Amino acid sequence: MNFPTQDFAALAPVGILSGGALVLLMSEVFLASTRRGYQASLTVLFSVLAALAAATGGSPGAIFGGQATVDGFSTFVTVIVCAGLALSALVGASWLRARQAERGEFYALALFGASGMVLLGAATDLLFAFISIEVMSISTYALAAYIRRGKKPAEAAFKYFILGAFSSALLLYGTALVYGAAGGTLFADVGRAQGGSALLVVGLGLVAVGLSFKVAAVPFHVWTPDVYEGAPTPVTAFMAAGVKTAAFAVLTRLALVAFAAAPQPTASGFAAVLAGLALISMIFGNWLALTQRSVKRMLAYSSIAHAGYLLVGVVSAAAAGAREGALSSILFYLASYTFTVVGAFAVVAVLERRGKSLDEEPVDAWDLQRFAGLGRKRPGLAFAMAVFMVSLAGVPPTAGFIGKLLVFQAAISAKAYGLAVVGMLTSALGAYYYLRVVVFMYMRPAEDREIGLISPAIQVAVALAVVAVIVLGVGPETVNQLARAAASIGM
Amino acid sequence: MNNLLSIVVFLPLFGALGLTFFPAAELKQHRVVALLVSLVTFGLSLGLWFGFDASPAASEFQFEITAPWVPSLGIGYHVGLDGVALLLTLLTTMLTPLVVLSTFKAVQERVKEFMIALLVLETAMLGSFAALDLVLFYVFWEAMLIPMYLLIGIWGSENRLYATVKFFIYTFVASVLMLVAILYVRAHDGGSFDYLAARNALQASGSAQRWLFLAFALAFAVKVPMFPLHTWLPDAHTEAPTAGSVILAGVLLKMGTFGFFRYALPLFPEAALHFRPVIAGLAVVGIVYGALMCIVQSDMKRLVAYSSVSHLGFVMLGLMALTAEGLTGGVYQMLNHGVSTGALFLLVGMLYERRHTRLIAEYGGIAKQVPWIATAFVVVTLSSIGLPGTNGFVGEFLILSGTWLARLRHAPWYAAVGATGVILGAVYMLWMVEKVFFGRIVNAENRHLPDLSVREAVVIVPLIVLIVVMGLVPQPFLDPARPAVDRLLTRFQAVEQQLQNEQPGRPPSVGTESPGLAAALAAPGLEGTVR
Repeated sequence: MNFPTQDFAALAPVGILSGGALVLLMSEVFLASTRRGYQASLTVLFSVLAALAAATGGSPGAIFGGQATVDGFSTFVTVIVCAGLALSALVGASWLRARQAERGEFYALALFGASGMVLLGAATDLLFAFISIEVMSISTYALAAYIRRGKKPAEAAFKYFILGAFSSALLLYGTALVYGAAGGTLFADVGRAQGGSALLVVGLGLVAVGLSFKVAAVPFHVWTPDVYEGAPTPVTAFMAAGVKTAAFAVLTRLALVAFAAAPQPTASGFAAVLAGLALISMIFGNWLALTQRSVKRMLAYSSIAHAGYLLVGVVSAAAAGAREGALSSILFYLASYTFTVVGAFAVVAVLERRGKSLDEEPVDAWDLQRFAGLGRKRPGLAFAMAVFMVSLAGVPPTAGFIGKLLVFQAAISAKAYGLAVVGMLTSALGAYYYLRVVVFMYMRPAEDREIGLISPAIQVAVALAVVAVIVLGVGPETVNQLARAAASIGM
Repeated sequence: MNNLLSIVVFLPLFGALGLTFFPAAELKQHRVVALLVSLVTFGLSLGLWFGFDASPAASEFQFEITAPWVPSLGIGYHVGLDGVALLLTLLTTMLTPLVVLSTFKAVQERVKEFMIALLVLETAMLGSFAALDLVLFYVFWEAMLIPMYLLIGIWGSENRLYATVKFFIYTFVASVLMLVAILYVRAHDGGSFDYLAARNALQASGSAQRWLFLAFALAFAVKVPMFPLHTWLPDAHTEAPTAGSVILAGVLLKMGTFGFFRYALPLFPEAALHFRPVIAGLAVVGIVYGALMCIVQSDMKRLVAYSSVSHLGFVMLGLMALTAEGLTGGVYQMLNHGVSTGALFLLVGMLYERRHTRLIAEYGGIAKQVPWIATAFVVVTLSSIGLPGTNGFVGEFLILSGTWLARLRHAPWYAAVGATGVILGAVYMLWMVEKVFFGRIVNAENRHLPDLSVREAVVIVPLIVLIVVMGLVPQPFLDPARPAVDRLLTRFQAVEQQLQNEQPGRPPSVGTESPGLAAALAAPGLEGTVR
């Protein structure tokens, strides 16, 4: 097969990200001093360049014979992923330095992971998607295992790898079945497959299960809390933002194909399964988060709940009338969630308790008590965390509110009233545990005068995230229009 | 001129932003700036008062501004005031400076954050009254929660965490369903988030309308609060700092009744008629239950909190009467409650500052020590129990007579049972006054209490003047509300006409009973008083 050059040019962001990864790897080889401060800056630079390349690169549409599609949708996803990467790298720099673990490999892995995510955002072929998922996942497995000091990180990395490999296997098996039923692995082939054979249904089902692992939807969420808690905090931030965004991008594209597939029972069955996943993800994610003392673990469960809300958006896309609104709501939600959750994990990274020695990981490293009295000790940081919590809870005027508004508006246009009502009620449940963090920060006295990790890089990351969350909440027009434009091409 | 409303709404927010630049240690600067900002806001809002045209021919919403906010979502920045919103806006802008002034001594911790929260809260409250776009309204409505949550949770008393979380969760759960309803209105019936467009487009009947009404009504009923959704209120009121209690009682509770008046009733009139007996029944239960609970309270703030349940029950009863008298009385009683209960909380707060207890039993016989506080307290009490000559009388009289004459089955019963609330009100309030101020001093600590300071007098005198003025000359305050009330009634009459066309033989349910019947039902001398 010969592919025209412009197909490769369309993937320029991927080239920049992987090229950046190579540069960082080499920088480690040629490093003469132990000064690595520039590595984080380079990572930020490459992610900004990749985002710019995506934004200015236009939308050539299907490339590589339809295996990937570079359109507004993939561009939007690329920009979100790059934003998540840049912010996480800023957090990572000082976090790693404080633990004497800053190496070029960390950034290189993150950049490789991001290139996998960007590819996934463009994937319109099951095999292409599988390879992108592997590029993304292998990087994140390695990142989760980046610091294996103590038991928890090792357990987290191992669990993530085993369950991740398992889900990849399911995905691949599903792909094989779909190939058998449809005679091809292109999404377009799946859409053309007539007859709705049992093979196709099972195959699509297995692919959906594999993706549900990646987006951490109940009941495929069991790895999430342990991995999110055990992984280095900047990595958790990157996973929560990037992996979720990329996996939702491909899930959305696939769902659109399945929804459009004839005959109708296949489509409605697929939608019903996704609706079920959404329902139990919202309920269990929020419910299990209620009792968590560890803020990091709470955010892990909350990410499950947010996967549920995003799935509501995906389900709403099943109704033709609500499709455009649903797709743009997913994109907007992903953008708002990325900024909010990376910001929240950045604050967690600042505050987490370190052991006396480097190898020790205290059990209460992320306990709510760590946040006690923050409102007095560091008003700026406390305000930022309060903004993130309020946004996660979906209270105006923050990005999270507009995201929820859009998603549930799509659900209501798609006549999925049950999902909208359950979603709203569970988000009210969520308000309880998000606000508990605020309670500790502002209403409980501090137990010590320790003020955590301060560095300009983290401060910049948190400030950017706060600004983004508030801007998306108060003036969502521009981003929403971009999301709409992206959504109309996404079909 | 047209931007005046937006300026009034957002000035406190800009004041709050300005305060962030002052160093936290400069307590005095924060206090003075917050006071100035709230005073200027009040001054500007007087411009709204004088600029408002209350004639029936004037447009329904004045100072209206429409600007796109998120056009791709159909959300607009649409604000405007009708007479009722105007009155509540003035109540808010008038109470806020008094509240700021009242905290000069009471709040010594984190003054900067306190003033910021208070000013942000003021913007959120004013915005809720001014909003004419459903999403804009929801944004302001929810935005009120966070500063209030912080006010109770940071500056409250011992049990504040429990109270503030309960307050937040109660209101938040109830209002998210309203958001679902708002989204439904846009997606299906109204096709718009704009209040006026949605009100015109919404169909008068259908089962969906009943669900929508319930979703809106639930959000508002929690805020009012209506029995049996009132349980957050005593906790929140009791634990909140004085300023929080005053704002909560004075303005936030009105948000619920205002919501019924502005949204739940006019948007879904058919459903409102359907659920009217239930709501009116709950209102009456709330009146009596709240009053009975007051009698057994040992904590002054808790007592005043339960009295709010009772008083707001009157307001709801008046609204549900769907007569001109009832609705007008309901609106008037909203103002009265804001003024008199606000004043009560301020006075209780003053006593608390002196003795650091709210327990009635700790006081007794202090009228000699603090004659001016006692005088003010008695005047406010009389207003609260509706003595003729005070504002409370006007409101309660209008509500009860309006309910008696309402075209609601067993209307006189609602009025009669509701009227027991007035009697019980006199019982519990006078009891409290007696136990706190009169008799012999038992507690030695009460012997040397300082009386009203000049600052405190400045806080309380405007409210007392208002109590008397609104009691003796109610007309200027009733006039602006009149067009809004008449329009709501006209709207209900139109819907009723339509329903009667669909179901011939349906008895009339809006407006006042025909005079002959009314004369037969009403006690001698009652009819013709308020026409």
